[in-house]
Amino acid sequence: MTSETRGNAFTDATQARGEAFIELTDVDKFFGDFQALKDINMKVGKQEVVVVIGPSGSGKSTLIRCINRLEKHDRGTIIVDGIELSDDIRNIQEVRRETGMVFQQFNLFPHLTVLENVTLAPREVRHMPKREAENLAMETLERVQIPEQARKYPGQLSGGQQQRVAIARALAMRPKVMLFDEPTSALDPEMIKEVLDVMVELAQGGMTMIVVTHEMGFARAVANRVVFMSDGQIVEVGTPEHFFTDPREDRTKLFLSQIL
Amino acid sequence: MRVLRVVGQIVAIVVVFLLLRWLFGNLVDNSRRVGLSLDFGFLNRPTQFQIPNHAEFDPRSPVYRMVLVGIKNTLLASVFGIALAGVLGLIIGISRLSQNWLTSRLASAYVEFFRNIPPLVIIVFFAFAVFLHGPLPNLREGIEVGFPGTSHNLFIFSLEQWGVPSVADAGNLAYFAIAMLVGLVVAALVWRWRTRIHDQTGAPHHRVVWTFGVLVALLAVAYVLLGEPFRITWPTLSENRRRLIDGFAINAGFISVAGALGLYTASHVAEIVRGSILAVSRGQSEAANALALTSFQTYRFVILPQALRIALPPLINQSLNLVKNTSLAAAVAYAEITNLTQASIGNGRPAVPSIVILMAVYLFFSLIISLILNVVNRRLQLVAR
Amino acid sequence: MTAVAAPPRSTNTALGWVKTRLFPNATSGIVTVLLFPLIVYLAYRVFLFVVVNGRWEVVRRNLTLFMQGTFPRDQQWRILVQILFLAFAAGVGTATASAAAADRAREAGIPVDRQRPIEILRRFWPVVLLVLILLYFANTVNPWLFVLGALAVSLLGTTARFLPTRLRHLGWLLVALSIIAGFQVVSGTTGRSWLAAAVVVSIGIWLSVRLERLAPLPRLAFKTALVALAAAVVFGIYTFVTVPGVGWDRWSGLHLTLWVSALAIILSFPLGLLLALARRSTLPALRVLATGYIELIRGVPLITLLFMGQFILGFMLPAGATLSSISRAIAAMTLFTAAYVAEIVRGGLQALPYGQTEAAQAVGLSPGKTMRLIILPQALRAVIPAMVGQFISIFKDSSLLFILAINEFLGVRSLVHAQTDFRGIAHAETLVFVALVYWAFAYSMSRESQRLERRLRVGL
Repeated sequence: MTSETRGNAFTDATQARGEAFIELTDVDKFFGDFQALKDINMKVGKQEVVVVIGPSGSGKSTLIRCINRLEKHDRGTIIVDGIELSDDIRNIQEVRRETGMVFQQFNLFPHLTVLENVTLAPREVRHMPKREAENLAMETLERVQIPEQARKYPGQLSGGQQQRVAIARALAMRPKVMLFDEPTSALDPEMIKEVLDVMVELAQGGMTMIVVTHEMGFARAVANRVVFMSDGQIVEVGTPEHFFTDPREDRTKLFLSQIL
Repeated sequence: MRVLRVVGQIVAIVVVFLLLRWLFGNLVDNSRRVGLSLDFGFLNRPTQFQIPNHAEFDPRSPVYRMVLVGIKNTLLASVFGIALAGVLGLIIGISRLSQNWLTSRLASAYVEFFRNIPPLVIIVFFAFAVFLHGPLPNLREGIEVGFPGTSHNLFIFSLEQWGVPSVADAGNLAYFAIAMLVGLVVAALVWRWRTRIHDQTGAPHHRVVWTFGVLVALLAVAYVLLGEPFRITWPTLSENRRRLIDGFAINAGFISVAGALGLYTASHVAEIVRGSILAVSRGQSEAANALALTSFQTYRFVILPQALRIALPPLINQSLNLVKNTSLAAAVAYAEITNLTQASIGNGRPAVPSIVILMAVYLFFSLIISLILNVVNRRLQLVAR
Repeated sequence: MTAVAAPPRSTNTALGWVKTRLFPNATSGIVTVLLFPLIVYLAYRVFLFVVVNGRWEVVRRNLTLFMQGTFPRDQQWRILVQILFLAFAAGVGTATASAAAADRAREAGIPVDRQRPIEILRRFWPVVLLVLILLYFANTVNPWLFVLGALAVSLLGTTARFLPTRLRHLGWLLVALSIIAGFQVVSGTTGRSWLAAAVVVSIGIWLSVRLERLAPLPRLAFKTALVALAAAVVFGIYTFVTVPGVGWDRWSGLHLTLWVSALAIILSFPLGLLLALARRSTLPALRVLATGYIELIRGVPLITLLFMGQFILGFMLPAGATLSSISRAIAAMTLFTAAYVAEIVRGGLQALPYGQTEAAQAVGLSPGKTMRLIILPQALRAVIPAMVGQFISIFKDSSLLFILAINEFLGVRSLVHAQTDFRGIAHAETLVFVALVYWAFAYSMSRESQRLERRLRVGL
């Protein structure tokens, strides 16, 4: 970044590069009387990596869970790859086919082997022949560097390995965008790196990603933009440099001083 | 310390041994004094009473034959009770989780009602309020429910027996049975064929439709080729309306015991079903949804396989409870083993060996079911580090 | 930033409720349409049975028979006094329990939520409903007055709330003593009945006398002496003051059902505790004996044990000793329940993390003290809900005495239907009544046990 662009980095970075792939307009979400998302407006472009940070309970997870409709938003519009999310189950399924998701608690299916975990959706949703699905699964498992664990059950793997299987499971659907919901929060410290390495590689390969995380190193390395949320609102958006050098809002400064 | 442990154990064994010897010694002394026998010789002597609703049973046949009849009836009531409890409990358990308020409240009401009354009260209700002193007429005036458009009876209801349609050999039933076996084998092959197609092309397999379609088609062909190998017999009353001829007769006692225990146990099964579906974490269905599996696929591939693992052990326990609860038939007229043992003791058979046999029978059932449970537990264990 | 918008309210209107709860989608809507007439029809049939066709005369005229069976009518006052004692015990018990919870909450610095009386009505609505139904069937005004009297006595008992925290356990002692008093007003105080009172008084004294300034050994000696003295005093009182009564051999009806189940669970508890400890013991001989007993009992139905009690137990006693049919049934039920209690306690012991034992050892407690001070208190607290469940189970199972021709609550029906007016008719009515009474008790208890479970989980 040159000093010239830095001056308006904030305004620049609020806009997505190129065409918007995901577009949220005036999104509200309530849990009972509690408002979890307030008036969210956000665009994510193709091949962009957006990192969402913020204190717990700020609505980060709710935000990305709305994008593949694990939570139903109450007002506003969410458009993913040209499809607007509505009550129509076909739209939802279409969006979910293009969206991979990785959870904090892995959520692998404990009764299926690693290979079966990865091939389940390609076979049942994409109607792929078994052999082809297995080849694809082995490919993705190689991408996350654990092809040798294919015949084991999730319970036999370490946390880091499980999370990498979860990433492979999502990749096997050949998604156009990947959503990460605090993928390293449930991991022991020594396993965080192996998962982050896989994610960095994905980002460098051109995957569109929205990542909820506290790993600022990851944000610095690959994020195009960082979004800071608090109390259900987007407080500040900018490049990683912007956040690490001169964050504008007081809430942002306070939060960053606590985690850095 | 070591010595103390050994001494303590020896003392415990000796105390228990002395207590048992004292009780048994008293038993032997008292029995000798009043002239009761403690041996099992009575098993070979005549039963000397008629088992109700078992006209083919000869009262002169030895007691062990009576015991076998009792065991058979215990098993019959258990099997039907378990089947009823399973089907009903499954429906009610799933209904309790339904979004539909009416369905879930109705299911809750069922569970909370039947779980909290003694099964014996339900059995007695059937036996006395439905059958013996209930609204049903006796067999002579039995209610005949016709099969629409024919002169046949579909059902006959009376307070002693219910008649339902059955099948009878019309010459080639044995061949038809063979055809059925062949059909099952072919159906299994069709199943595998459809699975292979699915594996190879990814196309939907429609295994259930294909398999049943082929089976039904084969059986229909066999039925035509064998020239009506069996015919359906409709329940009919005899000339003097004293007994049921044709069809299949179900005794009131059987309906009371199997029906009541089925209804009672269904409330427990429903709770197990509900609990085990709820026990599969939300994250599992969320992960399946995020992979774009439909809600049916989510149930079929993710929720149900895991819920089944959780539900199976307690379900097996409930089956064991139901088997043990068939002993409540002692209160009504159903000739299972407890009822017959009580009648037989009342007829002067020695009580001690009779009850020992009775307990041994139930222990045997318990043992079998525990073995099944152990095997199931071992096989269902999720693999973990 | 925009102003905070209000949440969508669609589910809060009546129409919204109907839409989301009855017609959320097509399938569900069809189910609603199909179920609704069925429910209306069932309700109509129930209404017909309850209000129009039911021959409830059979219950009205035999209400006393259902409640107390063939208990001698001229001795009925004993049962009434017993109910007053039990009402008092209930009052003292609830007051002590809620006061103890309040104490703990105050100590922990969390807000105290005091139960309002209306809350108790809501929690025990089935029993309240049952009492109202029974009063509806009553022919005179006396039962109404009696229920009011019992309520008053119960309220009197709630004054136990004002006992100082230090003497809280005296409340529990009072509960136990009034239950014993209630029992013995009916059964009389002959024979070994002093034992129950002596045991309760001894436990009470043992727990309330602290004597922390004495060294362990003299303290033990002193406490033992004190307990022995108290037991002797109780024995003396029972020897000099005897109350005649009606032994349980002559009890029947609901009265018998309730006491048989209570006795079975109370008597089986010590035995079950011993069995559980033996099964968890490191001594193989004890483990094998306990496991054998527990699995043997759990493998057979209760009725076979009751048969054993009726046909064999008498022969196992020395010549000349006799036991009534009800005593033998209680013995069989106790032996049966003990095996299940043992498994419940074992479950509680197993659920406790091993870290507790390790922590106790780390601060230097001996194995005995670890068990007594750390493990058992936690495990026994955790198993209370399951014990209530077992009590419900034995309460329902007590109906099996009917098969032995003992006239407990279900068996009383045979006396009712032996009357010429009700021979062969109105069986449905008596059975529905019987089922309702069982249900009211069992359902209330199961709700209470769920409530306890929730409270134990948050540690109150």
